[in-house]
Amino acid sequence: MNERELLEAAGRLPKSIEPPRDLWPGIEARLGRGRSRRWYWVALAAAAVIALVVVNTKSDGWKVTWLAGAGPGTVRVGQWIETDASSRALIAVGHIGQVEVRPRTRIQLVALRADNHRLALAHGAIEAKVDTVPRIFFVETPVGTAVDLGCAYTLEMDSLGNGLLHVTAGEVAFQSRDYEARVPMGAIVLTHAGAGPGIPYVEDAPETLRRALDSLDVKRVLAVARPDDAISLWHLLRRVDQAQRGAVYDRLASLVPPPAGVSRAAALALDSAALDAYWTHIHRILFRKVILRGVRDIDPRTGTRVR
Amino acid sequence: MTDELVRRAQAGDQTAFRDLYHQLAGRVYALCLRLTGDAGAAEERTQDVFVRAWDKLRSFRGESAFTSWLHRLAVNVVMNEQRTRFRREQRVTPVADPDTVVGAQHAAPLHGSAGLSIDLERAIAALPEGAREVFVLYDIEGYSHAEIGEMTGIAEGTSKAQLFRARHLLREKLDR
Repeated sequence: MNERELLEAAGRLPKSIEPPRDLWPGIEARLGRGRSRRWYWVALAAAAVIALVVVNTKSDGWKVTWLAGAGPGTVRVGQWIETDASSRALIAVGHIGQVEVRPRTRIQLVALRADNHRLALAHGAIEAKVDTVPRIFFVETPVGTAVDLGCAYTLEMDSLGNGLLHVTAGEVAFQSRDYEARVPMGAIVLTHAGAGPGIPYVEDAPETLRRALDSLDVKRVLAVARPDDAISLWHLLRRVDQAQRGAVYDRLASLVPPPAGVSRAAALALDSAALDAYWTHIHRILFRKVILRGVRDIDPRTGTRVR
Repeated sequence: MTDELVRRAQAGDQTAFRDLYHQLAGRVYALCLRLTGDAGAAEERTQDVFVRAWDKLRSFRGESAFTSWLHRLAVNVVMNEQRTRFRREQRVTPVADPDTVVGAQHAAPLHGSAGLSIDLERAIAALPEGAREVFVLYDIEGYSHAEIGEMTGIAEGTSKAQLFRARHLLREKLDR
């Protein structure tokens, strides 16, 4: 390549590259904090007086405890916590839970409000345990947002968005621009750069099914799916086109019959009430199966005890 | 449209400023990404740029286009951070994995001129910091050596030498 070709190639580079995630929430949270105003010093003095009177009633950051290595003891909105190969940290998520930041991870506190506890994972791995009402704890990633529905989970991701979400308690909704994956306890979903979440599967799903889900090989998925894999088929209903949806529904209904009130026509039309009712039914069966593992045998078709 | 948003944002309208962010985030992010060579740092700097822009909006008097003003601010924010980081660490930070520079939209294999662009992006990210900054500012963003010297604190001659070095290294990498 000569110099002219190099300069032509440089000239063709895009002037604009969209950030992999919406950075506005982190910006919005910081606006105004440093802006000069005439009453700035008055306000500062008043705040200092109030701070002396009201100690520890309100925090503008989350406490960080370093399990290995060292770093800042508090993370505030807009700040990052970064671990190297040998450090780990525990972030106290207000009063609702905690996030363990594993080695080689970079994470930012984006918002800290009563109804919006929000982190952004640039890359690495975290383990979150949250005990609160659904939809107030969020973790943004390069390919979507993990929305807590009352749960514990592990989230691993590279900086492009290739990763894995493994839910160990409760349920997480992983939302991208185009899809939402519901991941209940005992299930996993892979994420792919540029494509968002894949189709969730249960922890003990056979390798053949995982591969077929990853390549969206619908015929293969239907051939190898078991009753335990109903969560995958339920998600597949939304991912396939109308021509394939009937076959997916029929296979799902043969493995885990739908609850009363859910019709084939409604499911094929992607009626949200019908799909939600079906999901609740499937979720309940999976919950019983996971929670009673080793205690009782549960029929994966019905969720009832096997006699 | 942009002028109206700027005027409203200057009056304290955060909604207008948010709209400006959505219009211009891609350009600022691209600049930060190329100057830092690291996707995570680029996100952080992009946020810093817009926070700083909000703080300084009143000083924008419309003598140049708002995008030029924001662009210049972005370069200053990135350069200040690089200098601060250098002073803090007093050592060279390893360049991040060049693959992280290309965004998710470039994850799939590309061929032809698109493929060349990706190779070039990766090669730029792998350049030594000083050479990368000058190449991005001069050959991609179109600043003069005098302007680069003013923004980065290096002499014009150093800027020219860094540009020569950057072009030489890039041609070497792309010819492999």
